[in-house]
Amino acid sequence: MGIAITKEQNSIAASAIADAISKRFSDGGVNAESVAHSNDKKFDFVRITCEPNRWRAVAKWMRYEGGVNHCSMVTGTHFPDGPAERGWEVVVHLMKWPISNVAAHTMVVHDASKFKTEDVPMEFEVVIPLAAGDSPTVPTVQDIWVGADWNEKETWDLVGIDFEGHVNMHRVLNPHDSPIGFHPLQRQHKIRYHDFNEMYDDPQGFGRKPVDEGRVK
Amino acid sequence: MAEMWITMGPQHPMTHGLWTMRVKVDGETITDTEAELGYIHRGVEKICEARDFTQITPYCDRLCYVSAMTWSHSYVMAAEDLLEAEVPERAEYIRLMAAEIQRLASHLMWLGAFGPDIGNLTLMTWCLRDREMFLDLLQELGGSRMHYNFPRVGGVKRDIPIGWADRMRAKVKLFEHRISEYEMLLDESTIWLVRLQGVGYATAEDQINAGVTGPNIRAAGVNTDARWTNPYSVYDQVDWEPAVEKPTSIKGADCYDRYRVRMEEMRQSCRMLLDAIEKIPGGSNTHYQPGDEMILTKAPTRAPEGATGFSTYECTRGVSQFYLQGGGDSRGKNPYRVSVRSPIFITIPYVAKLMIGYKIADIPAIMGSFDPCIGESDR
Repeated sequence: MGIAITKEQNSIAASAIADAISKRFSDGGVNAESVAHSNDKKFDFVRITCEPNRWRAVAKWMRYEGGVNHCSMVTGTHFPDGPAERGWEVVVHLMKWPISNVAAHTMVVHDASKFKTEDVPMEFEVVIPLAAGDSPTVPTVQDIWVGADWNEKETWDLVGIDFEGHVNMHRVLNPHDSPIGFHPLQRQHKIRYHDFNEMYDDPQGFGRKPVDEGRVK
Repeated sequence: MAEMWITMGPQHPMTHGLWTMRVKVDGETITDTEAELGYIHRGVEKICEARDFTQITPYCDRLCYVSAMTWSHSYVMAAEDLLEAEVPERAEYIRLMAAEIQRLASHLMWLGAFGPDIGNLTLMTWCLRDREMFLDLLQELGGSRMHYNFPRVGGVKRDIPIGWADRMRAKVKLFEHRISEYEMLLDESTIWLVRLQGVGYATAEDQINAGVTGPNIRAAGVNTDARWTNPYSVYDQVDWEPAVEKPTSIKGADCYDRYRVRMEEMRQSCRMLLDAIEKIPGGSNTHYQPGDEMILTKAPTRAPEGATGFSTYECTRGVSQFYLQGGGDSRGKNPYRVSVRSPIFITIPYVAKLMIGYKIADIPAIMGSFDPCIGESDR
């Protein structure tokens, strides 16, 4: 008990980091703010909206000066009906953890009440809107966080967003011989029951037919 | 000597699931590796786009069939963030207990599978025997042994039954003694020590940079745990401290440290459970009807356009995260996008590269000590 980060510590740290990023990248293209999760039990995080051509600069600053040491998740989304400047979107989730190497037979037991503002663990959400079109591209951060490597592979594999400069890009979840250009989370690919609720619209299942019915096999 | 590639998997006992590791060997020494995943990719993220927020919970149970409760809990937290739902405190306590029981069951499954890898078949039977106790407790809550579909957006499906608290106390107290029995069996076994000590070194900073989280990083000497760094639920009100292990070398934690930290984590889960059942609001031996406001609040079913929900959750194998995007009126009750962060998906390529320099016989020990689960990594 008593080891948890408090809400005050968290919100002070979040706004401090957001201010630092805004100050460093005040020449445009980057917007950082401290946002609260909607559930009031949960804490603040830093949301950064960033143009794709500024992303590597922001990432380098976060990694080497901001102490953000963990790339946890990369999400790609396809918005075919969206505005021209946001046809695709990449959201990168990063974490800052208080982690350092220890000598043999020792350990670090952090006490949250003694954390300084710059050491408080923090969540980051970097939103990178991409222009609509056939070839969404964003620079890679594979060389900045090792953890971004397979996350970016997965995002390319499932959503089809190209990561410029990514070395050794290959399919990780889909079969290796999937057709070129096939990325199942793009919106033109419908699964069988998209926009159709089988629980209510067809409870007996009479209407269910295989998608390839009628195809010569 | 000439180098050659060996394919281990997808049907190899080392893999603990369905994946392939291609190993390049020079004699007995590993010189390169490649991991291949995707054998049981089910497209959960795509399926979830055609389901409403309640219907997604069973799919999240099936992300990891060893640790279903924690995964559906993680999803439900993200959905509550998106839909702005509040959770009653009694429901938070019930969820905490359910997740910690699941953590015990999951670690027991890990230990049971890890034992035969190292050459200790007794362990498998002992662990599965004790896991049954906890599966019975979870079955009383969720109704089935594996996939519970227990958390709801805004609470839990049903309250703890009458008498569940006593059964839980008895089983947890019994199990605390059983952990000591396991340690007597393992820590004095020469085979166990020789095969685990001094192999698979991983430092804390390397691991966090590569995306490895959870017990694996706590084994390297840092008490980082999402349960206190990104607090959720009522973990700040119950009595516990994160399990952490002193690594045996400057090179980081070895397989033995990772085994030790999970044993300690099971002790901490027991401690948490015994404390939470005393502190639960509304009493441990009362049963509220399903839908009662003590255990469930009514949550909105439609997410506003542009809203996002996010959760960070300490799963049994590391930090799991869900990221949801709401779709507005055109999507009805469905989310626009569901994205899952699996801790093991990122751990597996790291562990594969970690093995370079060790011998072929060390592969099961190193891989098993990281507790892989392919259900969640392939999604």
